[in-house]
Amino acid sequence: MRYRWFLTLLLPGLLAAGAERQQLTNVNSRYTVEAVEVSGIQESTISKPLREDLQRIVGEKYDQGKLDSLIKRLRSEFPGRRVFPRVRRGDKPEQVKVTIVVARHTFEGNIAANKLLYHSKQGWTGDLGITFPDRGNNRFSFGILSNADDLLERYAGIRAGYERRSLGTDRVRLGFQFESYHNKWNPTTLRELGRSPEAPGIYRTRQNFEPTFTLLPARGLQFTVGTSFQRFQTQFPAARTEAANAVITTLRYDRQLEDSAANRHRLEAGYSLRAATRTLSSDFAYARHVWDLRYRLARGHNRLEDHVTAGVLTGRAPLFERFSLGNSTTLRGWNKFDVAPLGGNRTVHNELAYRYRIFRVFYDTGAVWNRGQKAAAKHSLGFGLFHHDFTVCIAFPIKDGRAEPVLMAGLTF
Amino acid sequence: MNRAQIARRCLLAGLVAYLPLPGQSLTARLANGHLRVSAPQLRFLTGKVLERLHDGAPVVFAFQLSLSTDGSTSVWLRDVARFVISYDLWEEKYAVMRLGRPGAPASRLSAEAAQDWCVDALALPVSDLAEQKPFWVKLEARVEDPKQESGANPESPVSLARLIELFSRQTRSQQERWVAQAGPLRLAELKKPLGRTR
Repeated sequence: MRYRWFLTLLLPGLLAAGAERQQLTNVNSRYTVEAVEVSGIQESTISKPLREDLQRIVGEKYDQGKLDSLIKRLRSEFPGRRVFPRVRRGDKPEQVKVTIVVARHTFEGNIAANKLLYHSKQGWTGDLGITFPDRGNNRFSFGILSNADDLLERYAGIRAGYERRSLGTDRVRLGFQFESYHNKWNPTTLRELGRSPEAPGIYRTRQNFEPTFTLLPARGLQFTVGTSFQRFQTQFPAARTEAANAVITTLRYDRQLEDSAANRHRLEAGYSLRAATRTLSSDFAYARHVWDLRYRLARGHNRLEDHVTAGVLTGRAPLFERFSLGNSTTLRGWNKFDVAPLGGNRTVHNELAYRYRIFRVFYDTGAVWNRGQKAAAKHSLGFGLFHHDFTVCIAFPIKDGRAEPVLMAGLTF
Repeated sequence: MNRAQIARRCLLAGLVAYLPLPGQSLTARLANGHLRVSAPQLRFLTGKVLERLHDGAPVVFAFQLSLSTDGSTSVWLRDVARFVISYDLWEEKYAVMRLGRPGAPASRLSAEAAQDWCVDALALPVSDLAEQKPFWVKLEARVEDPKQESGANPESPVSLARLIELFSRQTRSQQERWVAQAGPLRLAELKKPLGRTR
């Protein structure tokens, strides 16, 4: 404290010298920041303190060091993204505009594990995807996968996609997706099929070609319409090729909001319809409706989430369209082949989850049944660790008698 | 393509990545007992470096001018220096400053002038070199990675040993390394009115 006077004299001098040095090493340091924008993400997804700090440099002299430290903080809030600045002349003389771009690595071409999962009842699921660098507005992707988690079947094969990301306007996109899979079936499903002659047969191969148009009419709103041409070679009761050609429609809404108490809210809602019709030369005629609603509340390190899904299937549909519960995202702890080995044409499911830092607990409840039958709700509880995209958790079915836990570990599920 | 072909191509790609870059021509001259060079074909304000500059960020370059008397296997004399170049977004001109040495920065330069300014600042004292002894000169430039070399602050000191170590390392990208060389030269030839170019 005795030398406070000395510091008082020295500090302004040091600061001035620092500013001068800054100006010497970067000629743009003499310009004033006119505006700061973040592109590639919704600004509401950035934490409030960081957003405030970003806006704080507006009106100040351009400082590369300060900008670099803000970019570093953005990188830590959006891991796995590329974050880089673009500084351009401002609208007024001697001013500059700063745009910080937050981009997914896939924009430059990327190899990513879309899903990598070990499930103690289902075994391994792996989905490796390659997205090639964008060529103008064109994006190509390729994937190789073996998935035992999403459907009643294990499907393994390849996936290739093309997307035209702007069709006259950025609000219209065109996509083509091709998939070719070999299928394997669980013995429980095969046993159950023998007892249910009215059930659709199993198949050994399946191909899908799916052209779609996507419209982005308003912020957070996405509407997709297209067709799905699926051909599959049935195995049981007779070997032949069948088709399930359907009109597909999806409407999705995704909005993030932040209230005055720095609580972040995210609301996602969706409806999808797959309607297979004889007019598209389909051997099956059915309509599959799915509704889902997800709400997330984040406050500091606390996150609460609820996700409700409901589905109705009318008509006679192939097995891949039937609803099933008891995998890595629904009725966790249950084995889907114990819940409904042939799936069902009605389903409802709710997931309630709470996360604090890396710890997560969840409670699932749901039912899958056939029209005319009585729905029997099942429940499960689980807990685990969650860090970035990696999760490891243990889930228990809530039932009478012996409950065997299910272990799940992997990426992005 | 069979495995042998793939292996051959990988080996070839590895060799290409390891081999030094083909040198560009360098003109040497004598001035006040010092050897100076110019490299009109050496253009390093290109590609990603240029993008960074046009995004308002300064870029730090490390330069080494070296002289060897046995065809570049061992260095007899060297001058290493760091420069920070920035691009004025309003004037669309470049500014260059030599780091670690007092002196005013050069500003309002064209891209070519900024590049030449860096090369002109390097000099080797050759008064001890015999006039008829053949020698080779090599100019190398590298972009410093702001994350690896000196952090965000381009002015943070980098020792001579670290700079030499920097030039002995392989770069991650050939876009960020430039080489120009000349030789064999003799001081006697350079003392004639016109310098010699290779």
